[in-house]
Amino acid sequence: MLRMITVRLPQKKLELEVPGPRRVMDLLAEAGVRPTTVIVTRGRNLLTKDHRVEDGETIDVISVVSGG
Amino acid sequence: MKCKRCRRAEAAVDLPSHHAAFCPDCFFLFFRRQVTEGIRKLRLFAPEDRILVCVSGGKDSLVLWDVLMDEGYETEGLYIDLGIDGYSDRSKEKVFAYAATRGKTPIVVELAKEGIPIPEAARCVRMQECSVCGTVKRYFFNRVAAEGKFTVVATGHNLDDETARLLGNLLHWQRDHLARQHPLLPGAGGVLVRKVKPLWRVSEVETAAYGFLKGIDYVTEECPMSEDATSLVYKEALSRIEDRMPGTRIVFYQGFLDPSNPLREGPKAAAPADAAPMPEDPPVVDPLRVTHVDAEEDMGTPRACAACGAPTYAETCSFCRLKERVRKARELRATKVSR
Repeated sequence: MLRMITVRLPQKKLELEVPGPRRVMDLLAEAGVRPTTVIVTRGRNLLTKDHRVEDGETIDVISVVSGG
Repeated sequence: MKCKRCRRAEAAVDLPSHHAAFCPDCFFLFFRRQVTEGIRKLRLFAPEDRILVCVSGGKDSLVLWDVLMDEGYETEGLYIDLGIDGYSDRSKEKVFAYAATRGKTPIVVELAKEGIPIPEAARCVRMQECSVCGTVKRYFFNRVAAEGKFTVVATGHNLDDETARLLGNLLHWQRDHLARQHPLLPGAGGVLVRKVKPLWRVSEVETAAYGFLKGIDYVTEECPMSEDATSLVYKEALSRIEDRMPGTRIVFYQGFLDPSNPLREGPKAAAPADAAPMPEDPPVVDPLRVTHVDAEEDMGTPRACAACGAPTYAETCSFCRLKERVRKARELRATKVSR
């Protein structure tokens, strides 16, 4: 079975499978998310936008935009 | 990428607007310095102030409370239960869970018990929920602060919030709103409590990163009432600009706050944080009766609200006017149902 990067966007209830390796900023572009609107986490770690993500890893893209 | 400060640890937060990237420990230092510099530059408050921190369960307000406690300020948290099904319960849970980690118990105001839950009140008066929410929250912020002898009310508005508001005010040339927009709104004589926004220099990404790295468990879901909020449109526009031109937001806002900016001229220019009670404190207001303020209209000399005695700049304060409109709408509905 082909192992891919799992990109989760919990607030949008979305999950994408993307072939790796990819930089975080490329994964955000793939997901159509602007970098200044999110933080990206892997477990208890925060990832910078140039961090390289490998196949088999799962990252969470958390929106930080609050309204009202 | 290595941390630009210690040059040893791996960076966890990259901040193009500061041409920097930090490891968690260095980011904590950076972030706290941004907040304390924001407090110092505008003289928002002093070490001896008692600060009421308005906490919603979201990242900004909990991070603000966390930083102020770490910096040694005397603080208490105020949570206002807006009466929004599900969302309010989950937010309250986060606030209490965080407060418990710091040995605190938040002050709670339940709008359902006060007879003005936001969703129903907004339906009654046919206004946007965010607008009703703002009026009601400002009322209770000041009322709880005045009753509790707090000298400062602090909210978690950040740089993104303030620049979105600024853009909206500029696009509509809201000159009176522009004159009043500032991270410090002075108080008056113990009845109008000073209001401050200590996170005015930090972005949403920065507060979210700080909260995450500190292990603060905040509500990540958006308030269901704010889905159509216009502030989100302005934020979207500004984040597009920020992506292309990092640092634009802070330049935009600091330029606006510059005292030489003619748009800042007006009755609400910031007063020094250590200012004595304003000389124009209203003699008609009885401080023993006054517990809140019509903060939306805080220009000039306030007088007592005809309905509740609170300081206001109209005949009755906006909160009393809102309550009256809700009461009438409920009466009308009851009459229709009984026919």
